[in-house]
Amino acid sequence: MLKYISKRLLRSFLTLFIIMSITFILMRQMPIEGYFQNYDKLSEAQIQNGIRMLGLDKPMPVQLFNFYKNLLKGDLGMSLRYRNNVPVTEILAPKIPVSVRLGVMAILLALILGLPLGTLMARYKGKLPDHLGTAFIVFIQAVPAAVYYLFLQLYGTELLGLGLLFDPDKWTAWILPVFSMSLGNIAYYAMWLRRFMVDQSTKDYVQLAKIKGVSGSKLMFRHIFRNAFVPMVQYLPATFLNTVIGSIYIESLYSIPGMGGLLVDVIKKQDNTMVQGIVLLFATVGVIGLVLGDLLMVVLDPRISFGAKRGNR
Amino acid sequence: MAKKTILSVKDLNVKFNLRGKILHAIRDVSIDVYKGESLAIVGESGCGKSVLNKNFIGMLDVNGFVESGEILYFGLNGTEAPGQAVDLAKFKKERDWLKIRGKEICMILQDPMTSLNPLKTIGSQIAEAIRLHQNLKGAELKKAVIKTLEDVGIEDAKRRCRQYPHEFSGGMRQRVVIAIAIACKPKILICDEPTTALDVTIQAQILGLLKELKSKLDLTIIFITHDLGVVANIADRVAVMYAGEFVEIGMCEEVFYDPRHPYTWALLSSLPQLGVKGKELYSIKGAPPNLFKHIEGDAFAVRNPKALKIDFIEKPPFFDITPTHKARTWLLDKRAPKVEPPEYIRNIRCGKEKRG
Repeated sequence: MLKYISKRLLRSFLTLFIIMSITFILMRQMPIEGYFQNYDKLSEAQIQNGIRMLGLDKPMPVQLFNFYKNLLKGDLGMSLRYRNNVPVTEILAPKIPVSVRLGVMAILLALILGLPLGTLMARYKGKLPDHLGTAFIVFIQAVPAAVYYLFLQLYGTELLGLGLLFDPDKWTAWILPVFSMSLGNIAYYAMWLRRFMVDQSTKDYVQLAKIKGVSGSKLMFRHIFRNAFVPMVQYLPATFLNTVIGSIYIESLYSIPGMGGLLVDVIKKQDNTMVQGIVLLFATVGVIGLVLGDLLMVVLDPRISFGAKRGNR
Repeated sequence: MAKKTILSVKDLNVKFNLRGKILHAIRDVSIDVYKGESLAIVGESGCGKSVLNKNFIGMLDVNGFVESGEILYFGLNGTEAPGQAVDLAKFKKERDWLKIRGKEICMILQDPMTSLNPLKTIGSQIAEAIRLHQNLKGAELKKAVIKTLEDVGIEDAKRRCRQYPHEFSGGMRQRVVIAIAIACKPKILICDEPTTALDVTIQAQILGLLKELKSKLDLTIIFITHDLGVVANIADRVAVMYAGEFVEIGMCEEVFYDPRHPYTWALLSSLPQLGVKGKELYSIKGAPPNLFKHIEGDAFAVRNPKALKIDFIEKPPFFDITPTHKARTWLLDKRAPKVEPPEYIRNIRCGKEKRG
């Protein structure tokens, strides 16, 4: 098991290395005009000077080598254009906990609400709870998120007696953003869980369990839910990643100082060091999510073993 | 031998609602199952063997329903007096069935590869059955699990019960399924083609095991199969089913050596073992009747080259041949012309006389 995990981690590092190198090289293929606000008015010497200041004059392998050398020291460099000459780490440091806290809470809420909803729908397949659940899922997936986010903010704040602005110290202020953010995942989890549970409930082993006298909720949880959850596990890391990265909509609606939309912003501004910092962060979260998903699969499904063949027939 | 009836089916009609159309799957079926016997129900695919048996444990698909008739079960709570029978055909709720499933009537499914939960250990799946029906806990439960596994011939049961289904072969898995079934301590065990998915050597082992368990645990076994070899191996009594009804019921020897219904003739003639080398193997022409439509007369008449005129007009009743053997064909009526069974069947009879 330990061998398997270390192998997976080593491979994850390789993945990160490839992602970072490609991002690094691609960013440097951008036109140099983008680095200057008033490119047209600058003289040739000023441009050359600027490029040297940005460290773009050196050959690519040297730039890449320097990047990794600094990275090992924990230095992601200075932001160039997002906020001039402020270390990237310093910009990201206050934003990360906000987004992660929001994301984790949203995921937990989605699991707490989505899984029972899916179970209920599967249990009463074709009956009222199933229809209501389907209506909810279709609504969430078909209506643009911005619409119900807005409604939630408008009526939610009124209902809870909150100000429109976000205050991280008041726990009630977290309710609406977290709930809004979890809505998509609630629908998603419920949809997949219902599907997998309906699949499982037609299997022969469920028939046999029924024949031997297992009934109702025992059958539902010990056999059907447990087995339907295994394929669900594959979907969890991806949704986790999407949620933690943050939602530009929700964060701007509630003025939450998180990372939502930050990546797009810095790419547009061609702030190389910021892009590298954020990509590194997201890629790491993603890779960890995938490894965790795989590990969870191994824990949940005895048919999947840690690489080496074991057991006998 | 005084036979006690444990299950009695009377004029059972089962229908299915398929997209607004009604399919009449079981047509006026009556049969008594005796305690301690093994009854084989044979017939071709789609004749209603499985549907009939699913009625006994309430596993009929949701679009199926019992239209009329009774399924009397006499084994409940040890009261075997006929007066205290329960009518399974009247059961509607899942809660009613919980009294029957497992501890009274249990079933083994056809495919052992899919009959076990892939995520649970063999031991826990057997333990689940024992806990439900025998009220054991802790160390006693564990001991009972190991004992059950040993009973079905699995060696090294202590280690094996911690393993998962994917670590077992097909034959071993069917043994585990049987272990789960007997762990419920049922009175009737329905085996729905339990050996169809297994190869021949394993088939023989499983049949041997079932025979052994039957005498050891005093089980009544209902065997559903289309393999006449299996029937000859295990059954005391045979019921031949065609198009949702029984056409011939009798002791194993009676049906094999002295079949009376043209369908039984045809079925036996199709056995490869009875064919003559160099001759084409016999097969029944045509297809079973459409059960969506009302069937006039004898259901098999259309495919029977020697059918009488009356076969197309009126449904024959059961004629008794011996007290244990009856067949549903007009050929047994006093007024019927003498129709000789096909050559193959006459050969079996001769063979028996020679041997006998």
